[in-house]
Amino acid sequence: MLRVIDFGRVPPLRSQTLWHAVAYGVSAGQPATLSFARPSGPYVCLGYLRDAAELDHEYCRANSLPVYRRMVGGGPVYLDERQLFFQICVAAGTVSPARRDAMRVLLEPAVTAFRAVGVDARLDGDGEICLGDRKICGHGAGQIEAAVVACGNLIEAFDHDQATRVLALADPVQRDETARLMRRYVTATPTDPAAFQAALTTAYASAFRLAAVPGQLSAAELDTVAGLDQRFSDARWLAGPARAAGPGRQGRQVKVRAGIWTYAGQVGEDVRMVASVVKGRLDRVVLTAPGMNGQAQAAERALAGVPLARAADVLGGLGQPGRELAEALADAEGRLS
Amino acid sequence: MTGSGPGPSDAALREVGGFALALDRSYQPGTHMWVQLAGVGLVRIGMDPLGVETSGTLAQLALPAVGAELIAGRPCGQLEAVKFVGPLTSPVSGTVQAVNQAAVADPGLVERDPFGAGWLIQAELTEPAELDAMLADPDEITAWYAARIAEYRLSGAIAR
Repeated sequence: MLRVIDFGRVPPLRSQTLWHAVAYGVSAGQPATLSFARPSGPYVCLGYLRDAAELDHEYCRANSLPVYRRMVGGGPVYLDERQLFFQICVAAGTVSPARRDAMRVLLEPAVTAFRAVGVDARLDGDGEICLGDRKICGHGAGQIEAAVVACGNLIEAFDHDQATRVLALADPVQRDETARLMRRYVTATPTDPAAFQAALTTAYASAFRLAAVPGQLSAAELDTVAGLDQRFSDARWLAGPARAAGPGRQGRQVKVRAGIWTYAGQVGEDVRMVASVVKGRLDRVVLTAPGMNGQAQAAERALAGVPLARAADVLGGLGQPGRELAEALADAEGRLS
Repeated sequence: MTGSGPGPSDAALREVGGFALALDRSYQPGTHMWVQLAGVGLVRIGMDPLGVETSGTLAQLALPAVGAELIAGRPCGQLEAVKFVGPLTSPVSGTVQAVNQAAVADPGLVERDPFGAGWLIQAELTEPAELDAMLADPDEITAWYAARIAEYRLSGAIAR
């Protein structure tokens, strides 16, 4: 049996804690469950292991945007009432121990559902649900005790500016570039949410060969929701696991979608670079290098379209600061998550 | 602790089905975690290359605090790869003496050097007999590893 629960429109906190409670329930023996929820207002949500410092908490507070840390993966995201969330939760033994395989099995029915409602979606080579080269569904997954849960969303409208603004980005050039890439590579697919919900139910029931049956939370799951409400509202939970200091040249990196990211780094007091990377190539580079007599501008032009692996050839022309920036960029690519 | 620690000697390293395998330590087949003696009652714990490969590109890693208690078969950390967060399972019981902060800061280290600089936890054993239940004989380790690779290839979990 595939239990199907539609939580409807719920407060932001509950739009997270309800489905986490389902995961604990499935872990304890409840049937595989497909659930839906729509937040009643905007908020920000952080992946389980992500650094809380990636968000501009002052801005979030000033704009009454609650921030919660979820127990599945992925980055910091802005969510609001124009997004319908769905979650598929199954016993951990149901899916492959190989995570790429597990993710494919958990996400392919969502692709089927998008297509059923007329959106020409596909699961791309990076495991993202896309329309053309644009991401149309944010997703994350995790194992919670003995259950595996994957969540995603139907984005009916997307506030790219707000999604960028909630991020802690000290460099205005990087903020602008992040917003530009987000507008280019993340898009909404306004479609009938009821039809999408029905299509998802059919697709997941078919994929897992289970009969879809409307259901509700058990008494134990309701108790779990209350505990999770408290846990997710605790500042210590939001702070997340202790983090190790990274190696030297860190900089600030923002992933827009798989293969699309921005990076801002600095060498010394005044040599600075903001780079936008699209599928392994530098899409745009802004260099600030006072005292280099126009060399930086020439380098910016020379770097556009260059594969990341060859950035060092060009940046090396700026001497030691350029070489350090090239190393920082290579480090950033290695850290990409 | 952030030191890289010694990796296996060349003599202890094998390649099995395209994956490196160190024969100077013990393995827990179900979790792909390895355990290596690092002193009297001390072990280092890490993940083998097959476990790393099936996880996907490692993005985030969280390990327990020094002094934390490990229980065999229970989570001893969390790993995120392909936006999937899952537990690392401790192969032994003990008390955490050190964690590899370099790997926490750069999880790619676990991919690049899983038997050396990419170790995860150093612990003092509280139940040394648990080691007896792990695979330690080189021939048995090799046979298990080869069988698991074949199984994963057949299921498509790893590339053929």
